[in-house]
Amino acid sequence: MTESSKTHFGFQSIDEDKKAEKVGEVFHSVAKKYDLMNDIMSLGLHRTWKQFALNVSGVKKGDHVLDIAGGSGDLSKLFAKRVGENGKVFLTDINASMLAVGRDRVIDSGLSVPVIQCDAEKLPFPNDYFDCVMVAFGLRNMTHKETALLEMNRVLKPGGRLLVLEFSEVWKPLTKLYDVYSFKLLPLMGKVFANDQDSYQYLAESIRMHPNQETLKNMMLSAGFHKVDYYNLAAGVVALHKGWKI
Amino acid sequence: MFKPLLTRFFQTIFSQNKWAYVHLAPHCGKNILLTVSSLEIRLTILEDGSLASGGETAEPDATISIPLNTTFKLLAKDPSASSEIQLSGDTQLASDLGKVLSNLNWDIEEDLSKVIGDVPANMIVEFGRKVSKETKSKISNITDMLAEYLQEEYPLVAKKRNVDAFNINVDILRNDVERLEKRLSKISAHVADMTDLVIKKKNV
Repeated sequence: MTESSKTHFGFQSIDEDKKAEKVGEVFHSVAKKYDLMNDIMSLGLHRTWKQFALNVSGVKKGDHVLDIAGGSGDLSKLFAKRVGENGKVFLTDINASMLAVGRDRVIDSGLSVPVIQCDAEKLPFPNDYFDCVMVAFGLRNMTHKETALLEMNRVLKPGGRLLVLEFSEVWKPLTKLYDVYSFKLLPLMGKVFANDQDSYQYLAESIRMHPNQETLKNMMLSAGFHKVDYYNLAAGVVALHKGWKI
Repeated sequence: MFKPLLTRFFQTIFSQNKWAYVHLAPHCGKNILLTVSSLEIRLTILEDGSLASGGETAEPDATISIPLNTTFKLLAKDPSASSEIQLSGDTQLASDLGKVLSNLNWDIEEDLSKVIGDVPANMIVEFGRKVSKETKSKISNITDMLAEYLQEEYPLVAKKRNVDAFNINVDILRNDVERLEKRLSKISAHVADMTDLVIKKKNV
């Protein structure tokens, strides 16, 4: 009998086949208050970061865009307005609870966006289909990041761009301050505002386990992206990686 | 911190100058380093032909260097400024970008009207124009007055014609000194010859 491979879930080491289920539990738990918590935790900056991602995406009218781990749908709404009536935006997430929140918000905004529940490691789309693939605050929760990046590369058209917006390695002089914020304040805020301390403890831990700027850049290059560049936002608390498929 | 702001600013300006997309779209994906004095701004051209701030690891394909005094000339729309801008790397890219940047026009009234409405926006912009015009005229008057004071009342700064006259006098003086020097050497040589002659006569 072979022992199943291990992966990280925050600071814990768990069986690979258990990660998706455990991450799913976290997001089922936070789905309803996800945007409120994002606003509180980032002081509203997550909206600026998402707008910036849209602005550097180079997406224009008529483009096809895939929003992976799109959750509450705020990026899909921004992209849907940018691509116009002739373009297409697909909102996807592995988690049904998050996707339900996103679907309702997209409908409430009067936008026509297909919503699909799917695993980013097995995307149900043809090769060379999208002009832009976007994954915001989702990659770190994926069990096999390399597989997911390969899939994203597969569905992109030549000349298409992958944008990864994710927590990253903060500027060294701010590390201590950021640690106090992440491990003391974040779980406390989770407890007070969402009555869910554990999920926000996982968030802090998963950020530390996620590859830093240069490592993620190299992972994207290994996944077949021709050129990869990144932007540090808020002193590296968040980084936006942009990779081109040739 | 400034990347989202700079990118948002460019997106706003480009949306008002749609002609610019056509010029930059052929260069999409390329990076430019804009150096204004010691300030460095990295820019990247997006797939739609608009501009955004460049990433941390972006290698510039072209560099545009603008000396600080040229920046003021550019702001004042002085045509001589363009000859002082230094371009290197992909010169076609730098040249196209230079043309686009120098012709971009920001319709502030349009943007302001979205926030505070058409009428207040128009009033604020008109007021701004008047203040700017008045300020330019006042600065020009003050500069003229100061120049006159320093030249006439408290002559710390010399007038051009005085400097020219001074230069001519210096040339004349230099020539006179050279002539005097030659005359003195001739006289010295003559005195030396005479002294030799007197000594020889005494010995005889």
